[in-house]
Order: sequence, then structure tokens, then C-alpha cells
Amino acid sequence: MGFEFVVVLLFLTTSAVIVGIALWLGRFLRPRLPSAEKASTYECGERPIGSAWFNFNPRFYLFALVFIVFDAEIALTYPAAAVARRWIAEGRAWLVVAEIVLFLAILVAALAYVWGKGELDWNRDLAGPEEMP
Amino acid sequence: MLPDLAGLRGGAAILPELVLTGTVFAVLVLDLALRRSARRGRVLLLVTCLGLAAAATAIAGVSAGAQPLFYGMLVADGFALFVKGVVIAAAVVGAILAALSPEIRRDQLGEYLILLVCLTLGMCLLAGARNLLMLYLALELVSLPSYILAGFRHGDRRSSEAALKYVVFGAAASGLMLFGFSLLYGLAGTLDLPGIGAAVVARGLQGGLDAQLLVVVAVLLSLAGFAYKVAAVPFHMWCPDVYEGAPTPFVAFLSVAPKAAGFAALLRFFLSGFGAPLGFPAPGEFPWPFVLGVLAMATMTVGNLAAITQDNVKRLLAYSSIAHAGYLLMAVAVGSPLAIRGVLLYLPIYLLMNMGAFLVVMAVHDATGSETVDGFRGLGARAPYLAVVMAVFLFSLTGIPPLAGFIGKFFLFAAALQTKSMFFYAVAVVGVVNSVISLYYYARIVRACFLEKPADAQAPVRVGSPAAALLGALAVPTLVLGIWWGPLLGVVEKALLLPR
Repeated sequence: MGFEFVVVLLFLTTSAVIVGIALWLGRFLRPRLPSAEKASTYECGERPIGSAWFNFNPRFYLFALVFIVFDAEIALTYPAAAVARRWIAEGRAWLVVAEIVLFLAILVAALAYVWGKGELDWNRDLAGPEEMP
Repeated sequence: MLPDLAGLRGGAAILPELVLTGTVFAVLVLDLALRRSARRGRVLLLVTCLGLAAAATAIAGVSAGAQPLFYGMLVADGFALFVKGVVIAAAVVGAILAALSPEIRRDQLGEYLILLVCLTLGMCLLAGARNLLMLYLALELVSLPSYILAGFRHGDRRSSEAALKYVVFGAAASGLMLFGFSLLYGLAGTLDLPGIGAAVVARGLQGGLDAQLLVVVAVLLSLAGFAYKVAAVPFHMWCPDVYEGAPTPFVAFLSVAPKAAGFAALLRFFLSGFGAPLGFPAPGEFPWPFVLGVLAMATMTVGNLAAITQDNVKRLLAYSSIAHAGYLLMAVAVGSPLAIRGVLLYLPIYLLMNMGAFLVVMAVHDATGSETVDGFRGLGARAPYLAVVMAVFLFSLTGIPPLAGFIGKFFLFAAALQTKSMFFYAVAVVGVVNSVISLYYYARIVRACFLEKPADAQAPVRVGSPAAALLGALAVPTLVLGIWWGPLLGVVEKALLLPR
């Protein structure tokens, strides 16, 4: 019972041993040139500035939310587009069109709402009329 | 080859949900189009109420049937339709409360109403969900707008705290429930509730001790989500803090509608997933009635005992709503036809008395700025109408005849006694003792209204005529249903005529 998991165990041990050997061999081959630059956090080739624990601008959050609207649009339009040709051949073109138009109308309403409410305006007073006490 | 569209039939049965979706859309567009108009709030409230009324009319037009719709995702039986009617009624009252309350800023009323109707849509889907996937999605559609509405008082620290606590608790409970669902799926190989029931009976009962244990663990984990939605022990802790911090018009809605939808989903989960009627377990069967009965006893005891020491009326009503979840849970544990009838009868009665009590709390808070029991001192002299209807709602919540709350509780306890089992006799005794305890803290508010002198201000408390009319509309049925409950019982009986 459970014998098939021996393969998994073998893989785990082999990988651990190989990585260990590679690191151990590297000690003899590589030059040792430690510097402060190397000890610092790696941040896409850039020198890190300050701490990562600070408050991000909440506008990024709003824009990310709006982006999701269009992300969902692609995800949900694609299935309809995939069957469109077959359904048109079967005389159900109106169904595909109606589906997509209705869906896009809802999305456009969402975008219009965000736009009309001024959420796409980058230079906006986010605090509103009341400040946090 | 024509695509198979047979499973998509049933559009007529989800007409109420379609109307609600259209209402969301209409309010959203109008909120945007009228954003510079002075009459925006009134127009939006009108459109929302018309949409909800249209959805209620659509419910009346749906022919109830037990056949599954949309590949078995939903069902539009009498039980689901009745619960949908209750939550839509609660949404109408909730929308009017929001329009009356100064806690909801006028320019944000549109957003509030959009989210409120979204929430109602989620609850309607929840009442009819017969597939675990649909059930979970509907539950999240109820939860997400609730989180936003709980934190709707912008810049208010307690409101934000309420929303955050609600989110954290909700995420934990929802995760536990999903884990339970995944175990059930692993056991049964289907997400369909009746299919799960058949698989559990077939495999769980004969699969030895470990399979039975797995079923018990899966169901207990799934219970977490429902217990959170109806605020039952041990997932009740969010309730007082959220009720205290969230805007009062939303609390009035939250204490009634999601609870009703949660109980509908819980009943369907147990009755169609695990066989009806449950009855008391024979040896070798799963002890659901016992587990639910113990939870019911714990819920009502914790709710009532904790309510005794509360000074804030909203917190007091929060604990009282936990206690009421306990009484309802007792009937769910029994699971007999009489018990289901009792639950369905209790939901509209609970709507009337609880939303009424919160409306009085809101009116007193708006006039005096106080949410404590002391704020109700001398209300009998300062606002006789408010004090009298508050007394009606509170005594009805206690379950004193001849008020509607008595009839509701009577059916719940009758269902427990009808089982003729020692365990449910014990649960019923605990329930009766708890009702007596609850009289103490409800009567404390009534005593403050009529027997105590106000500490400082003697000025009369003014109530606007819309609020007074709404109070009357909630108080009169609370009085009448206590004496003449036949018509409501008839509607309930008719809802349960069809097989589930």
C-alpha cells in the first residue's frame, strides 16, 4: 500500500542530493568576491530604494479593479467567439450577436459609471469630504 | 448538429432574478445620468422599489415546480419562491430605510441601492440553489456587497472596523465551507445536492468508519459557511461588532434577509443532500439532528446570556438576532414537515418585528444621537408612538401572545415536541428557558421607555411621516398576525405542497 509514492520519494531525494553536490562543488570553482551590493535585496537589476512596507497609492487599486472588468470581458467573450462560426452555420447567428452585445452593453455601462464618477481621473482628491478621525 | 439547449430552458422560472438584474442595471445608469439632478435620490428609490415590486410580481407568476433548471443548478419550487418573496420584501423596507437615514449620504444613495439589489439577487439565487457550485457563488454574491455596505459610512472608524471584521470572518468561514464542499465532491463525484445525498447514503453508510468520519468532517466544515451567514455559534463573533459599526439601515436588512436566505440554503443542503425527513438518528446513521440541536442550544444560550449585559441597543439586538438564529436552528435540526413550515412562517414574522425594532433605534439615534438603552429613557413621554411600537416589536421578539412572535415560536417549539425524543424535549426546554431570559433584556428597553425619566433633554423626539407610516406598516401586521395567522400559514402550506 502506498508503494507508488516511493517514486516521488526517490525524486525528492535525488533532487536534494544533486542540488547539494552542485553547491558543494561550486565552492571550489567560483571566485570569492563578496560586496555590499551582492548582499542587498535583488530588485530587477535596480538598486532598492527604501522599505517595501509602505502604503501604495490607492488609485492603483481602483485602476486594477477597472482592468478586471476588461479581463473578464476577454475571458467570457472568447467562448462565444469560439463557437460563433459553427452557430452561424446552424442559423443561430442572432444568438451569438445578442449574447455579445448584451454582455458588452453591461461592460460599457460599468466603464461609463467609473468614468462618470471621475474614478479614471488620476489627480483626484481621494480623501473625500470627511477625513478619518 | 444543433447545440443542446434543453438544459438552458427555464428562463421563465428565473424571471424574478432577471428583473432584479435589470433593476441593478437601470439604477446604475440612472445614478450616472441624473448625477447633477436634485431629485436623484427620490427617482432612484422609486426605480428600485418599482424593480423590486416587479420582481415580487414575477415570483407570483412563476409556476412552482421541483424540476431542476439550467443543468440542475437551480430549482424554483414553492419553498424557494416563498423565501425569495421574504427577501424581496426585506429589500423594499431596506431601501426605504436607507433613503430615510442620514447615515447614508445623499450622493451615495444610488451606490447603496445598487449594492442592495445585487445582494437581493444573490439571496434569490441562494434560495433556489441545488448545486454546491451555484450555492457557493450565490453565497459570495450575498457576502461581497454586504462587506461594502457594512463599511458604507465613509471615514467612520467603527464602520470600517465592522467591514474589516466582516470580511476576515467571512473569508475564513467561506474557506472552511469550500474545503467541506471539496471533500463532499471527492466522496460523491458530483456537486449536485440530491446526487451527493444518494452517494453519501450508498457509500458513506457502507464504507466503514473512515468513510463515515469523512462525511461527518465534510458536513461540519460546510456548516461553517451557513453558521456564519445566519450568525450561529461558533461563527457568531462578527455579529455584535458589525451591527454596532455598520449603518443602521443596513443592519436592519442584514439581520433579516441574509439570515432568511442562509436558513433556506441550510435547509436545502440538509434535506435534499441528506434525506428528508431527518428524524432522530437510528444507530449507524449520521447524527445531524444531534449536532444541529447542540448548535441550536449553544446559539440561543450564548445569544441570550450575552445580550443581558449590553448597553448599546444595536449590540443588544445583535445578540438577540443570534438567539433567534438558535430557535430557527432548532427547527432545522428537527427537519420534519412541521418544522420546515415553522421556519417559513417565522421568517416573515421575524422580518416585521426585527426591522421594526431597528427602525425605532434608527429614529431615536437620528433624533438624540444616542444608541444606548439610556437613550430610550422617557421615550414614552417624548415620543409615545415610537415607544408603543417599540414595545410591540420587543414583546413580539420575546414571543409573548397575542403578538406575531408567539405564533412563530409556537410552531418552532411544536415541531421540536412533536419528535417525541428526549433530546429534542431537552432542546425545547433550553429554548423556553432562553425565551424567559430574553424577556429580561427586551423589557429593560421598554422599562427605560415608560418608567424612567430622561437624564437631560426633555424635548419631544420627532419622527418624519414616512418613517411613522413604515413603522405602522410593520407594527400592524405584527399585531394582526398574532391573532389571525391563518392566511400566512395558508401561503406557507401552499409553498410546501410540492415535493422538494
